[in-house]
Amino acid sequence: MTSIFRSEEMALCQLFLSSETAYNCVSELGEIGLVQFRDLNPDVNAFQKKFVHEIRRCEEMERKLRYLETEAEKDDIEIVDQGDNPEAPQPREMIDFEATFEKLENELREVNTNAETLKKNFLELTELKYVLEASQVFFAERDTEPSSNLSQNLLPAEEGPTQGPVQLGFVAGVIERSRMAMFERMLWRVCRGNAFVRRQDIPTPLPDPLTGQDLNKIVFLIFFQGEQLKVKVKKICEGCRSTLYPCPETAAERKEMIDGVKNRLEDLNTVLSQTNDHRHRVLVAAAKHLRVWFIKVRKIKGIYFTLNKFNFDVTNKCLIAEAWIPEIDLTRIKMALCKGAERSGSTMEPILNRMDTRTQPPTFHRRNRFTSGFQNLIDAYAICTYREINPGLFTTTTFPFLFAIMFGDCGHGIIMALFALYLVVKEKAIIAAKSKAEIFNMLFAGRYIILLMGLFSIYTGFIYNDVFSKSFNIFGSRFHVGNISRTAVLQDHKTQFMLNPADPTDYEATPYPMGMDPIWQLSLNKITFQNSFKMKISVIVGIIHMTFGIVLSFLNYRHFKKTIDIVFQFIPQIIFLMGLFGYLCFLVVYKWFNYSGLNDSPFLGHLKKIIATVKILTCTPNQYNVQVTLILICLIMVPILLLPKPLILKKQHEKRMKLRSRESHAYEQDIGEPEEEEEKFEFSEVFIHQAIHTIEFVLGCISHTASYLRLWALSLAHAQLSEVLWMMIFRIVKYGNRVYNGVSNLRRLVLLNYSNFSGYGRFVSILTHSSITLISFIRWSSAQNSCMVKGTLLSPSVLSILLMLKMSKYIRTDFTSTSDDKTVHILSRYHYPDIKKMILDIIYIPNQII
Amino acid sequence: YIFLFFQEKMLDSAFNIDFGYLEGICRGFKNGILKQTDYLNLVQCETLDDLKLHLQSTDYGNFLANEASPLQVSVIDDKLREKLVAEFQHVRNHAVEPLTLFLDYITYGYMIDNIVLLITGALHQRPISELMPKCHPLGTFEQIEAINVASTSVELYNAVLVDTPLAEFFGECISEQDLDELNIEIIRNTLYKAYLESFYNYCQSLGGATADVMCEILAFEADRRAFIITLNSFGTELSKEDRSKLYPTCGKLYPDGLAALARADDPENVKQVAEFYAEYRALFEGAGNNPGDKTLEDKFFEHEVKLNVNAFLQQFHYGVFYAYLKLKEQECRNIVWISECIAQKHRAKIDNYIPIL
Repeated sequence: MTSIFRSEEMALCQLFLSSETAYNCVSELGEIGLVQFRDLNPDVNAFQKKFVHEIRRCEEMERKLRYLETEAEKDDIEIVDQGDNPEAPQPREMIDFEATFEKLENELREVNTNAETLKKNFLELTELKYVLEASQVFFAERDTEPSSNLSQNLLPAEEGPTQGPVQLGFVAGVIERSRMAMFERMLWRVCRGNAFVRRQDIPTPLPDPLTGQDLNKIVFLIFFQGEQLKVKVKKICEGCRSTLYPCPETAAERKEMIDGVKNRLEDLNTVLSQTNDHRHRVLVAAAKHLRVWFIKVRKIKGIYFTLNKFNFDVTNKCLIAEAWIPEIDLTRIKMALCKGAERSGSTMEPILNRMDTRTQPPTFHRRNRFTSGFQNLIDAYAICTYREINPGLFTTTTFPFLFAIMFGDCGHGIIMALFALYLVVKEKAIIAAKSKAEIFNMLFAGRYIILLMGLFSIYTGFIYNDVFSKSFNIFGSRFHVGNISRTAVLQDHKTQFMLNPADPTDYEATPYPMGMDPIWQLSLNKITFQNSFKMKISVIVGIIHMTFGIVLSFLNYRHFKKTIDIVFQFIPQIIFLMGLFGYLCFLVVYKWFNYSGLNDSPFLGHLKKIIATVKILTCTPNQYNVQVTLILICLIMVPILLLPKPLILKKQHEKRMKLRSRESHAYEQDIGEPEEEEEKFEFSEVFIHQAIHTIEFVLGCISHTASYLRLWALSLAHAQLSEVLWMMIFRIVKYGNRVYNGVSNLRRLVLLNYSNFSGYGRFVSILTHSSITLISFIRWSSAQNSCMVKGTLLSPSVLSILLMLKMSKYIRTDFTSTSDDKTVHILSRYHYPDIKKMILDIIYIPNQII
Repeated sequence: YIFLFFQEKMLDSAFNIDFGYLEGICRGFKNGILKQTDYLNLVQCETLDDLKLHLQSTDYGNFLANEASPLQVSVIDDKLREKLVAEFQHVRNHAVEPLTLFLDYITYGYMIDNIVLLITGALHQRPISELMPKCHPLGTFEQIEAINVASTSVELYNAVLVDTPLAEFFGECISEQDLDELNIEIIRNTLYKAYLESFYNYCQSLGGATADVMCEILAFEADRRAFIITLNSFGTELSKEDRSKLYPTCGKLYPDGLAALARADDPENVKQVAEFYAEYRALFEGAGNNPGDKTLEDKFFEHEVKLNVNAFLQQFHYGVFYAYLKLKEQECRNIVWISECIAQKHRAKIDNYIPIL
């Protein structure tokens, strides 16, 4: 029987496949993807396996395909991916494939070598053209300045050797710009300053014929005297990878040469474009099938790889495989095998035998689109053992719900849900697009998680009555604020008030029907009130979550019939947890039902209430006794958890050993080899394991409870963030007769040169805050499953951010007080901040940020 | 200030601030070095394709995947070296001082080899473009291709080497003599002597575990050179005085052993010198030229491998980078040796690789 709660039941099967059907059968099984083959030749070297030759051929084909792919990418040809999934071709088709790829590769290589030589020619000619043009300029310069002594003496005369007093030789060439400095330095050193270099940049970068990279190059002319120097200069030019070009000495010759070069360039251009066209055509034709080819070749390779795991029987006509198969799919597998045999036209039917085995079967969870995201999350921590309860199923609810407790905002929840909904609706198109963006793929894989997180957040947002830091007043608030009318309170944001549930003039004594009363959003003691609520809720949720985990462990023990574990592990654990933390939750709920603001003892302030709950004091007269008993019981549970189980296991083991030795005495003659399958038993190991488990459980209970307080911390942080965002960015503020929204507010600050710092600093701090909140969410959501406790790093960071916000507020007051604004009187109370006030201000929510 | 204090003292606790990542990566690379079982498998290969297939299952992965099928030994050699260089460059690019200088020091040795290779090639009228691919990529520098400008060592210094880090080692070999075979060998060995001594002093100045590990290795390197120079000088024109100038003085042989080596006339004398040093005596005793014996060179290699493996026993020092490079080079030599034997169907000597334990 299979159920969604546990991993599937697996059967170890033996397959007998005749050698001609084996290929097709494996191909069919591969398409189903439900079979896990065991490697029957793990000791054989990779190159000594049966089908290594075929695998090598596949690798060769893959190499050719990869070559085609890179070439196509060079030409920016899109490789079509229709998303179809072709069947693995028959082995005989391999030869056709090999021939096709061979032909394509050769053709392409030939075209490439042709193109390369052409490009090289082209490059040389272009460079020559630039050299000639540049030298034209150099010599023209000299001609225009006949009076210059320097040039007359140094530069060679055009009309032959007779005219100049000293005959200077020159070479012309082209060099990469990056090598120019080194080149000139070396020239100077070797020729001892007796060479004169003229240079000119080539305006357009020239492509390298081999790699196709664009290189910036420079034309240079070097003038020098004498043959010896010429040899040296040429050697240097060669050493610095520059290319030298012949440059005629007379203007007329140069002109002629330029014309010639230009003509040849044009010819080359046409040839080059034809070659490129040809290459392009070849590649486009190949690119159409490239994906399909890749898939086919990989399938063949995969099949042979699997076949390598099989054994040959003695007659060499039959392959024997061992595989794990989910029990309910046995018939499907059998059908597939028959189909495979049919396809290869064999009459011999493949045989599938169930084997009895004692080895632990693999864990197999069937997944669908919805659960796979959650299952991934669970598998990241650990994969359950065979037939254990799969926590993945429960995670589908608990994970998004715990997230929502932290996120708790209707508006943000809607945005999130809509985003995820878009991903879900467009699912098929996105899968087909095969995006390679890593972050996006991660989001996409978790689309159902995000969707549920969004939906749950909408719900918790309703409970917190929080939409972008505003609230709904659906049922009408149940509070009055002194004598001020309700509408005035709700509309006039500037009024400040404290709500006191104990005061009958404020509170109607009937609670708001669902969630928070909207008026809390406006009151000064909103945070005080919500903190208490959210903290208690998060602890209660946490305890329920942990209890649930322990109950699951009970179900596992029952399933595997481990009575010892139930008695000495589950029972002490649940008693310990319930005795300490279950009782805490009970007190919290009890207080909610029996005490309200009206009948609460007046001296119990908000803070004292928390302490009182923790210390578990004075509620009913017998309470003290109950509590002491509970603590004692819990303490007793620790040794019960620690000691009996390993001792009992030891006893059992000894008993078994005795029995076995007696048996083996009796059967010594009959059985040559006794079964060597008994598990090793090492008492110290078992005991240490149990000790670690005990310590982990006891400490874990405490630290996990503290950890679950982060639900509260993060929901607080989120609420703060959205409130700040609203105040700073989105709210429209009236100053006199001018209207500003948050952004223009910032701009105004900059323009009027008040203080860039406060506006900018505040903006930055908002960004920082939001990113920190996001990171904390991610960290938290990953922590909640492993129940890892990483300390309360978060709270200091949130506090420090709040402090930053506050600081910027103080700085800001300085300039507001200089302006004649009517807000001055509100802000002026911050004029002389003292530390105590600042800290108080941080603890209470910033309610008066303009 | 405390930070600087820590850094100056080279405290182990501060080492990981700058070099922890690189040391980790280097040790990771080292774990990928082929084991004895891998060699046993490689030796069984019938063809180079088998070799390729087996290397695929090691850390080398797909490094030969894009090579067309009939493999050449030279292709394997190139690819092995390419991979090694890529790994070294990765470390070099992420390094900060003083590790940067340390890694650069390692490359200077390759520079010397490259220069000598090119000059010798130029002497035999071979074009530079043909020689360049044979140069070790770790030892290339900008000016290297212009090396045949020089016909004397002064020119070599003035034109090419003056801008390179090798300039400081070149002081002793400046002469107006034309470059010929013997000269080049002298230049190589003088350069190498200056390089080893400088590297030795640098490692000593770094102090700590780096000095412990590296000085041991470099001292062995120096002594090995001294032995080999002496052994190779018999029957050449090299005078005893010139020869003694080439001995690096940072080894354990300095000063007595080197003085004795300077007087040596035949291999027997060299062996006598080695008698006085426990570790070298063992090397000379185990070596022989008969078939089946290991050559002295192999013995030296084995000892070097041992020292390099020992370098990994300590933590928080730069020696691991040097040791890794040398071990990997030895491994490349081994693989190339085995593939040569396979390619030439010369299986008798296939077991003569030097295992890295």
